Amino acid sequence: MSFKKVGLFLAASALAVTAVTGCNGNENNSAGNANANQNQASNGDQVVDIEVWGTNIGYQPVTKGSKLYEFYKEKLGVGVINPYVEWNGGTNYLNQLNLKIAANEMPDLFVPQQGLEDSLAKNGAIVDLTELLPKYAPNVWKAIPEDIWKVVKANDPTGQGRIYYIPNVVEYGRYAGLIRQDWLDKLGLKMPKTQDEYVKVLEAFRDKDPNGNGQKDEIPTGGREQVRWMDHLFAMYGVAMFEGYPDWDIYDGKLTYSAVTPNMRAALEFIAKLYKEGLIDKESVLNSKDKWEGKIQSNKVGNYFHWVEQGNLVFENLYKNTGVKAEFSVLPVPEVAGYKGFYTMKKFASPLWVVKNNKDQEKLMATLKLLNNVYDKKNWKDLFLGVEGMHYTMKDGKAIKLPDDKSTQENQILNPATSISTLDLTIDLFNSTVSEDSKWAIDQVTRNMKEAQKYAKVIAGDGMPASVYDGFPDINNRTLYAEYAAKIIIGQYPISKFDEFVEKWNKSGGEEVTKRAREWYSKVQQ
Amino acid sequence: MLASRGEKVFVGVITGLLILLSVVALVPLVSVISTSLSSKSAVDMNLVTLWPKQFTLDSWKYIVDRPDLWKSFFLTLSTTVIGTVLALLMTALFAYPLSKPEFRWGSVIMMAVVVAMIFKAPIIPYFLTVRGIGLYDNPLVLVIPHILNPFNLIIMRTFFKQFSKELEEAAFLEGCGYFRMLFQFVLPLSKAVLATLALFYGVVLWNQFQHPLLFLQDTNWFPLQIKIRQFITDDSVIMAGASSTMSLNYNERTLRAATVIFAIVPIVVVYPFLQKYFVKGAMIGSVKG
Amino acid sequence: MKSIASHQMKLYWPLYVMAIPGIIFLIVFKFIPLAGAVIAFKDYSVFQGFIDSPWVGFKHFETLLQHPDFLNVFSNTLLLGLFKLTIVFPVPVLLALMINEIRKSALKKGIQTALYIPHFLSWVIVGGILFDFFSLSGMFNIILGWFGAEPVLAMQESAYFRPIYVLASIWKDAGWGTVVYMAAISAIDPQLYESAMIDGASRIRQIRHITFPILLPTVLVLFLLDIGNFLDLGFDQVYNLLTPMTYNVGDILDTYVFRTGIQQGQYSFATAVGLFQSVIGFIMVYTFNKLSNKVSDGGLW
Repeated sequence: MSFKKVGLFLAASALAVTAVTGCNGNENNSAGNANANQNQASNGDQVVDIEVWGTNIGYQPVTKGSKLYEFYKEKLGVGVINPYVEWNGGTNYLNQLNLKIAANEMPDLFVPQQGLEDSLAKNGAIVDLTELLPKYAPNVWKAIPEDIWKVVKANDPTGQGRIYYIPNVVEYGRYAGLIRQDWLDKLGLKMPKTQDEYVKVLEAFRDKDPNGNGQKDEIPTGGREQVRWMDHLFAMYGVAMFEGYPDWDIYDGKLTYSAVTPNMRAALEFIAKLYKEGLIDKESVLNSKDKWEGKIQSNKVGNYFHWVEQGNLVFENLYKNTGVKAEFSVLPVPEVAGYKGFYTMKKFASPLWVVKNNKDQEKLMATLKLLNNVYDKKNWKDLFLGVEGMHYTMKDGKAIKLPDDKSTQENQILNPATSISTLDLTIDLFNSTVSEDSKWAIDQVTRNMKEAQKYAKVIAGDGMPASVYDGFPDINNRTLYAEYAAKIIIGQYPISKFDEFVEKWNKSGGEEVTKRAREWYSKVQQ
Repeated sequence: MLASRGEKVFVGVITGLLILLSVVALVPLVSVISTSLSSKSAVDMNLVTLWPKQFTLDSWKYIVDRPDLWKSFFLTLSTTVIGTVLALLMTALFAYPLSKPEFRWGSVIMMAVVVAMIFKAPIIPYFLTVRGIGLYDNPLVLVIPHILNPFNLIIMRTFFKQFSKELEEAAFLEGCGYFRMLFQFVLPLSKAVLATLALFYGVVLWNQFQHPLLFLQDTNWFPLQIKIRQFITDDSVIMAGASSTMSLNYNERTLRAATVIFAIVPIVVVYPFLQKYFVKGAMIGSVKG
Repeated sequence: MKSIASHQMKLYWPLYVMAIPGIIFLIVFKFIPLAGAVIAFKDYSVFQGFIDSPWVGFKHFETLLQHPDFLNVFSNTLLLGLFKLTIVFPVPVLLALMINEIRKSALKKGIQTALYIPHFLSWVIVGGILFDFFSLSGMFNIILGWFGAEPVLAMQESAYFRPIYVLASIWKDAGWGTVVYMAAISAIDPQLYESAMIDGASRIRQIRHITFPILLPTVLVLFLLDIGNFLDLGFDQVYNLLTPMTYNVGDILDTYVFRTGIQQGQYSFATAVGLFQSVIGFIMVYTFNKLSNKVSDGGLW
C-alpha cells in the first residue's frame, strides 16, 4: 500500500532531520559539493565560477553555460552564476540571503540589504578590502573617487576605518522636475523663476487648456503614493529629499533630518495650498506608479518629478498614445524668499558589493579579478549592451538596445552604467545606442540631463549608513512622516499638526538617531 | 410540486439576490480580462474600466508563445494532481483514527494539530529542517510539505465523526477491519468531503510560491505562480538607458492581467466538475439530537 | 492497567498504524521547526546560529509592549479581528443556506462558481482593483455623482478603512467559504426533507430544523479554527489596502512586524510577535473549545 511508502519515506526523513540539524555548525554540507564541482573546472586552468547575488526584478537567471554566462566568461575571465532570487522590494531578497547565510552557503559576491553589511563585517563574514582592492582590483580603486572611499572608511561598522564594501556611485544629479515646455510656449509663458511665477504657470496649466482638447482635464503637477515623487515641490524650500524620503543636510549649522526642519513645515504648507486650489493632482498621495505615469503619458500633466534620464520612455509613450511629441524642459528650482532651493543629489547611493570572506583563495582571487574587470572602463559599454540578440541588436552598424523582455533576457547583474555612472558615460551610452526613431526623445533627455546639473546639490547626509537607524525601523521607514505629510497635504490635518509630528518623531527615537547621525558626520568631516 | 406562492416569492428573492451578488463577484474579473485584451496605449492612459479598449490579442500572443510558461504550467498541473491525491490519502488515514473515540491518543493529537495550525514556525528553522531532509533544490518540495494540512485534517475528522454509526457497526459484525472499513465503506461514501478537500489542497498546490522561492534554485522546476510574480511584483528598480518600447502593443499591465487569467482559469474550471460529488455523495449522515 | 492498554492495542492497532504517517509529518514539518521559535527569547544572529545566539529573556516581548504605538496597533488588530469573526464569518453560512434553496442545478452551479472566483485573485490584484474603484474616475465616485454628491477619495479616509476591509474580505472569500458548507449540506439525507414536506413544513422551517442543525457542527469547528487565528488577519490583505493616511486605523500587528521585523531581517523580534499572536489565539481556542464541549459534543478535543 502506498501509504506505507510514504510512511517509510517520512520516517527516513525524520532521521535525516535529526542528523543534519544536529550538526548545524558544521560548514560545507552541500556547499562542499558545489565547491568540488567548481574546483574540477578550475583544475584544468579553466575559469572559476563564482556565485553572485544582486537585484533581479524578474529577468532570467545566469546559469552555467548560458549566453550571458559565456559572455561574462569571455569578457571578464570569470564564470558568473546569478541564480534567480526574487527581489520584491528587497524584502524577499534579504530573507533569502539570510537563509543562505544560516545554511553556511553565502554567495561569493553580493549586494547587502538594509544595512546587512554591518553584521556581516562584525562577524568576519565579508572580507576586508582595504589592502586587497589596490593590489588585486586597481580598476575599482581608481574608478571610485577618493572622497567616497573616505566615507566608506568612516562607515566601517568595526570602527577601524577599514573598507568592507564597494559603493554605488553616481557622479551627477539624476533628478529634476520636468515641465512641459511646449505648453509654456503655447500659452505664451516664460519659464518660471520664482515661486509666484511657478504658481501662475500651474494656474495657467489648470485653466487655459494647454493640451487643447477643450476639456479641463489638465493636472498641473502632482506625485505618487506614499508622498513620493513630488520632490520638486519640496526642493524650493531647500528640503533634502531622495525620491520622497526626507534626508539629512545641514540646517541651522547642524546635520538634521529634513523632515523636522522649518523648511519642511513651509514646504508642506505650500503644497497643502496647491492641493486645495487644485494645482496638484487630487490623487497625488494615492497614485500608483502605473496611474501617475498613465496621467503623464496621456498628455494631461504639466510638470512631474523623476529621473531625467528615464524621460525618453515617457515621451515615447506619450507620443504613441496621443500623437503629441511633447517637449519637456528641466524646471529650474523656483526661488522662494528666505530659502535656498536645490534638487537633492547623492553621489553615494548605497553599498553595492561585498565579498565573502572566502577560505578558498582561488575563489577570492577570482572574485577580485571579476570586480577589477567589471570596473575596467573599456568593458563598460559591452557590459551595458549585454548579449547580442538578447539584450541588443545591430542595426545600420549600430548597437541598439532591445526592449525589456523578462522571458528571454538574462539578468545583467554586472552593469557599471548603473553602479558607477558619470554624466558623460551615460550620455555617451545613450547617443551611441539610440535608434533613428527614438532620437528626438533621447536628444531631449540628454539636453535635460546636462541642464539638471545646474540645480543639483550633494547633501551633507550623503553616504550615511543605515546603521544609524538600528532599533528604530519606523524612523528609517519614515512611517510617521508619511502619515503626517500626507494628511497635511490633503488637508485632513492643519499645518499646526506639524509641530506635534516633530515632537513625536523626536520621542520615538528621532533624538537618538539624530545623535548617531551627527556622530557619523563628525567622523566623515575629519 | 406543491409550492405555495409565498415560497415561490421566497425562492425568487433569494435567486435574484444571489445573481446580483454573482455579478458583483465577477465584475473585477471582467475588468482584468478586459485589461489583458486592450492595447498598451489604452491601458497606459487608464482608459480601461470594464470593457476592452482598442481590442488586441497581443498580450495573449506573448503569453501563449512563451515556452517557459507552458512548461511551468504543466509542471504545476502535475504537482497539483499528484500532491492532491497524496494529500487526500494522508489526511484520510490520519483523520479516521482521530474521529474514533476508541483511539486513545485522539485528544492529545488533536491538541497538537491545533497547535500546529495556530503556531507558525519561524522561517529559518523551517528552512533548515526542510533542507535537512533533502528537499533543497529537489522538486519533491513542490509536493511533500503540502500533503497534510491541520485545518483540512480537522474538517475531514468533523465529517467522519458525523458518519453513520449503524453502518459501521454492521460492517464490523461482518468482520471488517479498520483498514477495509476506511477504504471500502467510509471513503466511498465521503465523496463530498473528499471533493472539498481536493479543492482545498489543489488550490494551495496550484497557487504555491513560497516553497519554490525558498527551496528551488533550478528555474526548470519553477511553478507557474513564480513566473507570474515576475509580472505582478511592481518593483520600481529603475534601469538606466532603458530602451524603446514604442513598437510593442503590450506593457507590464496588460501582461500582468493576461498571466493572472492564464493562471486562474484551470483551477476555476475544476470546481464545477467537483460539484457533482456534492450532490451524489448525499447518502451518509444521521441527524443527531 | 497494563493489560487494558495492551488489550486496547490488540484490538485497535490499525488505528495507531494509520496515524503514524501523519504524526511523523507533523513532527518533521511542524514541531521540529517550531522548536526554533526559541529565538524569540534570544538575539538570534544568522552567524551564530540557534545554539550560540545569546539568551535575552523577554526582551523582544517588552520591546513590543513598550512601543509607543503598541496600544493603537493592538486595538486595530483586535477590532478588525472582531469584525472578521462577527460580520465576515457568518456570511458563508448564510450564502450556503441561500444557494441550497435554488433547485435548478445549472443555475446553482453557476452562482457557486461565480461567487468563489474572487478567491483566486491575489490581494495585490484586488488591492489594485479597489484603488481603481474608489479613484476619482472610479465606479464609486460615478455612483456618488448620480446622487449629486461630492466625490470622496475613500482610500485616503480613515473612516472608510474598516468598512472597506470588511467588505473586501466578504467579497473575496465568502463564496470560497461556502464550499465546506455546501459539502456538509449535500450529506443530508433527502428523505428528511421529503418527510418534512409531507408534514407540511415550510422552506424556512426546513432550514431551521433540518439544514441548519446538520450544518452546526461544521460551523462550530470552523468557528473554533477561526478564533485560533484571531489576531492573524493576513498581512497581504491589510498591506494592500493601507495608505499612510489610514495608518491610524489600519496598522495591525502583521503590518507592524513586517516593517520592523521582517523587512529588517530581525528574526527574533518577528518570532516574538508571532508567538504573542499564537499564544493568544491558542488560549482563545482552548477556552471556546471547553465551552463548546459543555454545550455540545462538537469540540475539537
